[in-house]
Amino acid sequence: MAERQVAELGAGAACVGWNHCGRRLAAGAVDGFVSVYDSQSQPSPSSKWQAHEHAILNIVWLPPDYGDAIACVCADGTLSLWEEVTAYSDGQVKVYELLDSLELDKWQLQAEFQNITDPVSRSGKPACTSASIAWSPRRGESQQASFAIGFNSDSPNFNSCKIWEFEEAHQRWLPLVELGSPQDKGDIVHAVAWAPNIGRPYEIIAVATCKGIAIWHIGLSAESDGSLSTENVAVLSGHDGEVLQLEWDMGGMTLASTGGDGMVKLWQANLNGVWHEQAVLDCNVSH
Amino acid sequence: MPGMLMDGGGAIVPFSGEPGHAVAAAPPVRNIRHGVAPPISRVYVSFSSGNLLQVACLRPPNPEGGGDRGAEEVSGGRVVEVNLGGGGSGPGGADAEEIDEAEMRRIEYGSVPAFALLQSRKNALVDGSGMSRLPSVSEHAEWWQYVLEYSKTIGSLLGNPDSLSAYMIDDPKMILKVKEKPTSLKAAWELLEIFFVDKQLQTWLPERLVDWLADYDSLLTKTENTIYRTLINFQKKLINLQVVEDDPDYWSGLSAALSVGWLDIVVNMLRFHGSYQLDQMDSRETENGLVEAVAVLVSTMPRMRPDLPSGKLGQCCKTRSDFIKALEKWRGQVSKLECSAFWIQCGHQKTRDGLKSLLHIMLGNIKNLTASTSHWLELFASHLLYIRPFTVGFEGMHQLAQKCIQLKPSADNSRLTGLLTGILSENTEVVLAECTKNFGPWMVTHAMELLTADNDYADMMLHEERPNFGGISIEELHRLVYAQVLCSHALTWQIAPTYLSSCLNQGLGLLEILLLKQPIQDNRVVLKTLEICRLYELENVSTNIMKIAGIYHWKHGRKGTGVYWFQQANDKVRLDRIAQQLFEHIGKSVTDDSFKQWEGLLELLGSDIGSAGGLEFLHRYRDFKRSLQMAQEGRTGESVRQTVEFLIQLMRNPSTPQRFWLPLLHDSVRLLNCKPCPLLNVAETTLLLNKLQELSLAKLRPDFSNIHLPSHALNSVRLALASNLARSILEEP
Repeated sequence: MAERQVAELGAGAACVGWNHCGRRLAAGAVDGFVSVYDSQSQPSPSSKWQAHEHAILNIVWLPPDYGDAIACVCADGTLSLWEEVTAYSDGQVKVYELLDSLELDKWQLQAEFQNITDPVSRSGKPACTSASIAWSPRRGESQQASFAIGFNSDSPNFNSCKIWEFEEAHQRWLPLVELGSPQDKGDIVHAVAWAPNIGRPYEIIAVATCKGIAIWHIGLSAESDGSLSTENVAVLSGHDGEVLQLEWDMGGMTLASTGGDGMVKLWQANLNGVWHEQAVLDCNVSH
Repeated sequence: MPGMLMDGGGAIVPFSGEPGHAVAAAPPVRNIRHGVAPPISRVYVSFSSGNLLQVACLRPPNPEGGGDRGAEEVSGGRVVEVNLGGGGSGPGGADAEEIDEAEMRRIEYGSVPAFALLQSRKNALVDGSGMSRLPSVSEHAEWWQYVLEYSKTIGSLLGNPDSLSAYMIDDPKMILKVKEKPTSLKAAWELLEIFFVDKQLQTWLPERLVDWLADYDSLLTKTENTIYRTLINFQKKLINLQVVEDDPDYWSGLSAALSVGWLDIVVNMLRFHGSYQLDQMDSRETENGLVEAVAVLVSTMPRMRPDLPSGKLGQCCKTRSDFIKALEKWRGQVSKLECSAFWIQCGHQKTRDGLKSLLHIMLGNIKNLTASTSHWLELFASHLLYIRPFTVGFEGMHQLAQKCIQLKPSADNSRLTGLLTGILSENTEVVLAECTKNFGPWMVTHAMELLTADNDYADMMLHEERPNFGGISIEELHRLVYAQVLCSHALTWQIAPTYLSSCLNQGLGLLEILLLKQPIQDNRVVLKTLEICRLYELENVSTNIMKIAGIYHWKHGRKGTGVYWFQQANDKVRLDRIAQQLFEHIGKSVTDDSFKQWEGLLELLGSDIGSAGGLEFLHRYRDFKRSLQMAQEGRTGESVRQTVEFLIQLMRNPSTPQRFWLPLLHDSVRLLNCKPCPLLNVAETTLLLNKLQELSLAKLRPDFSNIHLPSHALNSVRLALASNLARSILEEP
């Protein structure tokens, strides 16, 4: 394993995001500045501007179909105009759609709903600290848009990770499945990642809760009763403290997780389908 | 990426010998040297291509400090890229010493054509036989020859270490001479070729192993003694030796070399004997005769093998019966010399003992063979040479190897001995595990063809689709893993498609992701990516890439390039949007001379976008404008008639937006008025008047947008049309 330095972040950097090919990097800072690094050429930013008055909490690149664009979420509750999906602190899910890919300033609220499947409990506004969304890495136009979302809130109903799919016929979002066994359903969700599927007959989604990282297999074809089969194939624990990020490699074979413990852990399944910790990258030692 | 990581790499190998072992073992920990002063508040990661992981280490942000500090701005963190797959040289650890990255890249590139050729031959055989199952391939008579050819090509890529013949002697005092350093990778490849592919040479297996050992003895162990090391040490000592035959190392070196069949070295070394020196000849005549007699016997030792490289000593016997005959005769001569009376006349005790020991080795005395060899594999080779020259088949060899390992246990198990014991135990899983663990993804991917060449079990095991891995076979899994390694470097990603396309189930899926991950900023990369798409008929991927490239260029101000890519992608939605933008632009200043500004862009948009309605209109509109200009300047009858035709076409076409009707007609007023004879016939004029009427009605609606035209525009058009109508009625018969 070799290491290569690709960028030197400025003071106050709070969050970073990579573009689709992993060669451009955007960093948001506590003073509201955004810096973009072209990691192949030089370690200093190629551009820098103040996007917000307050600290930037999260920064995401738009899919390349929309050009090189970044969405920033700011601590004051605003977000730069180009955020595609956002989850509000009232437990609502809002899906925006871009009307025209040539003009990124034209967005409309496409749908708004709560992350619950049971309509009886649809009352009250839970206090929510964070939400985790993972869009399905769609292949081809024929597949419907879908995403998995889980919350970190005080309401168990909202927390549990669910997959929503857009139903073209009725132009609405429908919950497909809920990822959680009955006793774990209310667990706080810290991170969600949907693995690229290069040809498996099932999708793989990793969900980090307070109990560890759960690996889920979701069948692609519906069972006889119309539901999708889900199987929790592993619960991985390893991080000391909260899991902050989950990231799949391009083949969906290796999962990388980062935690509050400053560790990066790499997870793989062996030939018997057993998931295990493949390696650990320790970032706490600087030399 | 399974299997790529450091010591834990064997995890995906279906080696069930140690259940749960891989899970229980603590994973290797690697410290990331990012150089940021602790503490680290947050770590972000992102996989880019293949096994490259970008790791961003952030310090706790401090909103109060920082900014005011001025010049001494504190770093907020650093981003490093970690290659989890160990760079280009797939094998981790020790191999990095043997093969550097550039050399590994040469091997990776060089093996592509051979691999591709073999795959296409395999496909041809499968197609030809009408069977869909791959295992049938190995039943074809010519298949193993194809595999052999492939194996030889790959083998030659790995370098050509000197074989025994090159231990030849230029400097008479030089015992061993190695021109090129042998590599374990090549040694391992040859082992697999010897045991799994080369059917022709199976009866000569023992001799092939002996040859193999001659080439790679130096690689057997790093810490323990080998014959190679013994000889190298003696070589160093030789310069200072006055009387070689007095030195015990001389005789032990001779026995060692003879026991593993390095005849040239033995004969050469025998000639160092003091009795050959001219001043000694008389007094040591008998002694010299004995030395020479042994040298002659050594150089005529029968070897059962297809050929002997020229200049190599020994007597080549191609068939078993020839060999048995020659061996009996030769053994007879050896025994006769052993019993000869001349030994009594040999005054030099060490010579007498040393030569006798050599004779005992030639007669296959187990005690002597055991004493003169160092490593168990050397003992194994000596048994094959002197005791069991007819050993064929794995079972006999395996038993023999076990016996030798018992006699000469080795604590330092090299990668090669592990591989060889795996091969001899006929355990494909172990062989695969050894290859994965010690030689990396390149080796496993390419060696799989050797393992399955003539082995039904391996064939089945490697091609069986496993639900645990999403329905792919072990072969495919390893190809995917190797492809990921190739994807991790800008210089090798282009060869990954060859391997991905050989994967039946998930290869194309990964290839699509790989292609879509390529940066579109670099036009050469885009062209290369599109070429690969064409090659593998990935039309939807290339369309996507073109759209992304189009958006990128359009947004970065290169409108023409953007439009070009949208057209290539046949992206009607976006082209229509661009046309819309043009409309709006033109609509604002349609009567100006700003015509020129958008004319260029229109030119780029081309004329073959039939279905993009907006663009179609703009093209007609451009033609009309041009023609109108010509008509007004030159006023030739032809251009006037042409202009009018364009006008009628535009007005008839349903794709012409209503808001352009009036500007179009208004532009034509001058033309209509200035001609003495009517330009439009009655029907045409009526059509235009109807349109005008429609416009007048539309004008009353609130959403009607009047373009910047003079307020009398409508009236002047109506007047011109009316007078034209009047004249044409008069003229028509």
